[in-house]
Amino acid sequence: MKSETTSRRNRTSFWFTAREALGIALSELRAHKLRSFLTLLGVVISTATLIVVMSVVHGLNQYIATHVADMGTDTFIISEFPWTMTFEQWLKAQRRNRPVDIEEYDFLRDTMQASKHIGASATLSLPPPAHYGNQQIDEVVLNGVTPSLIDIGQTEVLYGRYITDSDYLHRSMVCFIGHDLLTKFFPNTDPLGKEILVRGLPFRVIGVAKSIGTSFGQSEDNFVQIPLTTFQKIFVARPQLSIFVEAWSSGQMAALQDEARELMRVRRHIPYSEADTFGINTSEALMSAWQSLTGTIFGATVGIVAVFLVIGGIVIMNIMLASVTERYHEIGLRKSLGARRSDLRMQFILESSVLAGAGGVMGILFAIILTALVRAVVLPASVSLTAVVVGLLLSCLVGLFFGIYPASKAAKLDPIEALRMEG
Amino acid sequence: MELGLASSPSPAWSMPADGVLIRTVDLWKTYEMGDVQVHALSGVSFEIRRGEYAAIMGPSGSGKSTLMNLIGCLDTPTRGEYWLNGQLVSDLSDDDLAYIRNREIGFVFQTFNLLGRATALHNVELPLIYSGASAEERLARAREALDRVELGERVHHKPSELSGGQRQRVAIARALVNNPSLLLADEPTGNLDTATGLEIMALFDRLHQGGNTILLVTHEHDIAARAHRVIHIRDGKIDRDDRIR
Ligand SMILES: Nc1ncnc2c1ncn2[C@@H]1O[C@H](COP(=O)(O)OP(=O)(O)OP(=O)(O)O)[C@@H](O)[C@H]1O
Ligand SMILES: [Mg+2]
Repeated sequence: MKSETTSRRNRTSFWFTAREALGIALSELRAHKLRSFLTLLGVVISTATLIVVMSVVHGLNQYIATHVADMGTDTFIISEFPWTMTFEQWLKAQRRNRPVDIEEYDFLRDTMQASKHIGASATLSLPPPAHYGNQQIDEVVLNGVTPSLIDIGQTEVLYGRYITDSDYLHRSMVCFIGHDLLTKFFPNTDPLGKEILVRGLPFRVIGVAKSIGTSFGQSEDNFVQIPLTTFQKIFVARPQLSIFVEAWSSGQMAALQDEARELMRVRRHIPYSEADTFGINTSEALMSAWQSLTGTIFGATVGIVAVFLVIGGIVIMNIMLASVTERYHEIGLRKSLGARRSDLRMQFILESSVLAGAGGVMGILFAIILTALVRAVVLPASVSLTAVVVGLLLSCLVGLFFGIYPASKAAKLDPIEALRMEG
Repeated sequence: MELGLASSPSPAWSMPADGVLIRTVDLWKTYEMGDVQVHALSGVSFEIRRGEYAAIMGPSGSGKSTLMNLIGCLDTPTRGEYWLNGQLVSDLSDDDLAYIRNREIGFVFQTFNLLGRATALHNVELPLIYSGASAEERLARAREALDRVELGERVHHKPSELSGGQRQRVAIARALVNNPSLLLADEPTGNLDTATGLEIMALFDRLHQGGNTILLVTHEHDIAARAHRVIHIRDGKIDRDDRIR
């Protein structure tokens, strides 16, 4: 008869207990705002950290994917420094590396037979101001370029034309302008043939570039390109170059890089045992460096988040233990009314999860604000739904895990002894 | 007011042929206090039949509360047998005891033992939560129980917003809400003034007339006099068992 009656017993309503736990947890939060905030600080910090890092990396990934891909997988760049170095390599490179000069460019252009295109550019290290009429732009990026650079696809002509061999040869005072200058200087007029002043010197506009967009919050369209020879004549006699080499196919890339490296080493008389005094950079190398960097970032984040979650969890466990002690009488009362051990265990585990989950929600709000700030100031970043869900789940799980011990303590109480405590 | 309280035991708990609801056989409760053994109960044997209205009296420390807690399945005896409704309770598991507390027993305490932050309605609902009743059923039965104790107007009040007598009536409604076989009350009027105590006792009288089996502890003779039977306890033993009616 007993087993019959026991089996007829319904399960305690989970949702009711959950709602009750939510109500109790929220009223505790409301009653002790500061204490609760401090209690939940660990969970708040870890959730916020997790989400911000995920968001920033997510945003950067998108940025890198679109912008580095622009460079193409068939192009490499020879310049003074490699883009990716260890700290020791960097120290050494600071001492030994030398800028790439125009003679080296001429040498490579004339000797490398296998490349599809080869070009070079130099950038004025102090961006000069530009004027047209009474309009002024305080700083523009000024590049000296070879005519071949247009073929390598860094920029595209919107209208007009690019710098030609003739411009290059004659050191003409002509310029090819970025889209920002078009909108600022020539909102209603045709720019072609007009003269703009760059650091007070007149350059005739021969073409306008297609808009590229922004990166890291900065416009990529705020540039003036002039023939490299003109750049030498007027601004820097011995410019530091980046040489762009495009291969016919990605399959040819390795061989072409080897050839360029050998030629550079021969020209610079680098002994066999010594390292390069220049850098050869590819988008692929940058991507893989980026990926290993994000790997490191994630590793560090997981560490930080784990530490704060454990700290947060232990604090929550302490608060829950205090809560159990404060509520001995209630626990005894519930037991006297027929609550089983499992009912009380569920109640306190839910309460602890709700508490930690509230910390998670605070962390999410924090992260959203922080991410918005980051996006406004420097980096592309967007809070992904995945990050929010992971953050919330993780915080609830921490509450659940660290609630187990206080909850089982509550569940094991003897009803008579618990009831005897003052309520 | 019609108190339709025909006790309705769940069909699975068939009444023993002799109508005995409680039977204890040589019940002992011993506390170990260091080297000293305190016998709160030393061999209590008695029976209560269904529909009876019995009072337990005795001096302070005689073991009345200890006995009530054993009968209410809040505690387990050190030795002896306790049969409730034909079932041997004294060696049941924790969860089975919880089940019996939930379904078979309504316990009224001297100190009311209400949840301070919850409304009267929620307090009365609590036993139904642990029997897994649906939300509508819980609400309907809790309101009905509060109506029975004439607190239908106060369902959304918290204990702090109720008088002592009203609080005890909420506690009685809670004890009744699952239609238990047995209503236990340990000094239910101990914290109330005389007039309010009389109101509560009138409520117990009506509940008994409605068919409930009632066992209550009291110090006061005129309260015990309302019962049909008074069991006197002294030093953990039954001293006298008087049938008044
Ligand atoms: N948990 C305990 N540990 C040790 N001794 C206990 C415990 N509970 C009760 N006792 C002892 O058991 C005896 C009976 O106690 P009980 O509470 O049953 O008395 P009572 O008849 O209800 O008294 P009162 O009228 O004052 O409520 C007392 O001597 C008491 O000291
Ligand atoms: Mg007592």
